[in-house]
Amino acid sequence: MTAIPTAPTRRRLPLNWLGIVPFALFALLFLILPTMNIVVGAFRNAAGDLTLANIRGLFAPSIVASYWISIKISVASSLLGAGIGFAMAAAVVLGGLPSWIRSPVLTFSGVASNFAGVPLAFAFMATIGPRGLLTLWLLEKWGINLRAEGFTILSFWGLTITYVFFQIPLMILIITPALDGLKREWKEAANILGATTFQYWRLVALPILFPSLLGTFALLFANAFGAVATAYALTGSSLSIVPILLFAQIRGDVLQDPHLGYALAFGMIVITGVANGLYIWLRVRSERWLK
Amino acid sequence: MTMKPMHWLAGAAALLSTTALVQAQDMAALEAAAKMEGSLTTIALPHDWCGYGDVIAGFKAKYPWITVNELNPDAGSADELEAIRANKGNMGPQAPDVIDVGLAYGPAAKDEGLIQPYKVAAWDEIPDSIKDADGYWYGDYYGVMSFMVNKDLVPNPPTDWADLLKPEYKASVALAGDPRASNQAILAVLGAGLAAGGSAGAEAGEMGLSFFAEMNKAGNFVPVIGKAGTLAQGATPIVLMWDYNALSARDNLKGNPPVDVVVPASGVLAGVYVQAISAYAPHPNAAKLWMEYIYSDEGQNLWLKGYCHPARFNAMSAAGKIPAELMAALPPAESYAAAYFPTLAEQDANKGVVTAGWDAVVGANVQ
Amino acid sequence: MKRLVSWAVLVAGMGYFILPLVGLTEFSLSMRRGEYSFDAYAAVLADPTFRQTFSYSVIMALLTIAFGVLLVVPTAYWVRLKLPRLRPYVEFVTLLPLVIPAIVIVFGYIRMFNTSSWLPLTGSTTGTNLLLMFGYATLSLPYMYRAVDTGLRTIDVATLTEAAQILGAGWVTILARLILPNVLVAVLSGAFVTFAIVIGEFTLAALLNRPAFGPYLQLMGANRAYEPMALAVIAFAITWACMGLIQLVTRFSKHTKAAR
Repeated sequence: MTAIPTAPTRRRLPLNWLGIVPFALFALLFLILPTMNIVVGAFRNAAGDLTLANIRGLFAPSIVASYWISIKISVASSLLGAGIGFAMAAAVVLGGLPSWIRSPVLTFSGVASNFAGVPLAFAFMATIGPRGLLTLWLLEKWGINLRAEGFTILSFWGLTITYVFFQIPLMILIITPALDGLKREWKEAANILGATTFQYWRLVALPILFPSLLGTFALLFANAFGAVATAYALTGSSLSIVPILLFAQIRGDVLQDPHLGYALAFGMIVITGVANGLYIWLRVRSERWLK
Repeated sequence: MTMKPMHWLAGAAALLSTTALVQAQDMAALEAAAKMEGSLTTIALPHDWCGYGDVIAGFKAKYPWITVNELNPDAGSADELEAIRANKGNMGPQAPDVIDVGLAYGPAAKDEGLIQPYKVAAWDEIPDSIKDADGYWYGDYYGVMSFMVNKDLVPNPPTDWADLLKPEYKASVALAGDPRASNQAILAVLGAGLAAGGSAGAEAGEMGLSFFAEMNKAGNFVPVIGKAGTLAQGATPIVLMWDYNALSARDNLKGNPPVDVVVPASGVLAGVYVQAISAYAPHPNAAKLWMEYIYSDEGQNLWLKGYCHPARFNAMSAAGKIPAELMAALPPAESYAAAYFPTLAEQDANKGVVTAGWDAVVGANVQ
Repeated sequence: MKRLVSWAVLVAGMGYFILPLVGLTEFSLSMRRGEYSFDAYAAVLADPTFRQTFSYSVIMALLTIAFGVLLVVPTAYWVRLKLPRLRPYVEFVTLLPLVIPAIVIVFGYIRMFNTSSWLPLTGSTTGTNLLLMFGYATLSLPYMYRAVDTGLRTIDVATLTEAAQILGAGWVTILARLILPNVLVAVLSGAFVTFAIVIGEFTLAALLNRPAFGPYLQLMGANRAYEPMALAVIAFAITWACMGLIQLVTRFSKHTKAAR
């Protein structure tokens, strides 16, 4: 590296920050300030005084349980979505498939990644619900009674399987550019050195992809964590995940405690921050040997 | 937004201030003032709910110079109040002029200063128990809790609350909302409690919860939010919802599947909604014109066509203003004779019990 | 062997997606009692509002994508190049729209930009459209940013920039002719998700009183059984077709990378 004179460096620093101004302004005006209401509201009560009562209320056992189940569903659906999505993306990009497959898969993933809420819940109920197509077909053709086996869509795994519907396409979309970036030369070099496909993946490709995989997993997690429409449409009153509780407090047809709702939302922001912090820490460690 | 000449604005303001808000205004003057404003913004009015589609169309037909902005048909009562709060300084078309909320929200909105008083011309024909003495909020329609039954899957519909526990209705019964947040669902629990013999309020709430707990244990309860779609598809063959919603959904399904709407023999619970004008309404005169329309004979009958019992029902039927075919389309009048109108205090007590106790008592929660 | 495994994975994966869609479609075709028919679809397509609201949403989607690209690509590039210490914070901010309910955001907008504020966006149609676009951009920010960031990771940003600067290129040239073409696949991914989000978005459009497709879907579907499902299937198909068009247009207007 050439030596840089100190005076220009000091002068250059403010200019660097200039580059982030448009984004900072946008985020401030259209994301952070409009939602300051939540942060402020979490610490106020109905009379308008500052209080920690709402935050303390978050530690009630039922609410802690709902946070916990939200986290579990988010992690489960993100792991499944990331794994299956990665496999499908790898199949399309690197798997030697005809090139015309790629475009429909990517565009389909685009649509499917946002196919959520009532139509998705309904689609799953119409398929593996108590009178769904698949359930009835399994019963009539193969004699398999899903209900008797203990499977019902109105459960943790039912909801997870439904969430995976939009997690997988999201994974496919985001990880495809990273897979594109795997240079062919690396595979060739590994082959020349005698590595098997498995060794190539384990020692070359996955370590390089790991930060991207982590980042996408963090996105998937936040995506599932905040997803409410699907859960509401599917499970209604049976599964107490946080976004549903939140909605019950700040929406609904009966007078609730909106400040508790704000505290719930604040809690969700905090958890997302913690998850993000974890992801950053893991990524920094994995990026150490990269540039 | 059109620019209004200053002197017309002053005239309209003088008009507003001279008519003491508690008296109904001269209709012609009201129309003129509303014409100045030119538009009305409503919120949370799905077209299939109480026939609001027809009501809005009727309003627009009668006053063709008025534009109606319909905000968020999906809004709950809390959303409507929040919309008023958020739009306090806003004169744009996002600020709601009129709201239609659950009974419990009327006093809450009045306390918070979100609504302004107005007494329509037909004020005296609205029953006292469902309106605010000062004219801030006033009942608009009511219905009773009923069972909506998919006849294809349930050939033998239940006739009363106790029937819902029978083994023939396994995995069939659902609420129309989340019992922790939805007025419809919470009052369904109250209805069950009343049928079980509890006195309205906290006691009925608790008995209702035990009823649903028993239903859940028997495997009859489906913890999914029941709608026309889930009823038709088969996930929730029996849904507990307001009779007007059930009848309207039955019409939309057009016999595919055939639907029975059953008002239970005991525990007939009436649910009231109330109208109010926003204190920050950008078009207060248009709002008042709207109120006059929906409380007129024409408006009230359109609600009846949507299967809702309008507030002036008793007075209108005594005066013979209700067409016979509208009456014939409703469930038999005897079912409504025993309808119980819970007071605000009773509803509050019930709500407290149900929202707090649902998860614990009914335990339909899946972990 | 590799090809067989790839096909197997793809087919199995697509099977998981097709099945629920089949269930949905089957139900939407059942409007007429006892036989399959397109009655629900006919009811939906006969409505002129369908075309109006859908075209409005498509235009808003394209505008949002353009704005998102203009905002996110330079930001992600700059952060990667000059301000790497800010990356965690920027990433956290981009994840926020996922956990903050849209209804809170829109009420915040109305409070901040109403007719009596310093920036009365809600007072005019253009202003409200602009506000809605900013709202959409906020909602799609997590996906757009993550996609672009992943794409930038695969190219050597620092070296490319240095080389371009040596050759005398200014920042705009670097971004437009060097960075953007190289992350086009990533940008396209983000664009797809943004498109789907805008078409389906309901809360912002409904409360800002704009004639978008989301509120129309809701208005159609509240108390009906078959029409909303038919509408969902139609929306799915048309959104997919639009994305295919975007893909096609991009392919014809830019050079793709060298063939593998």
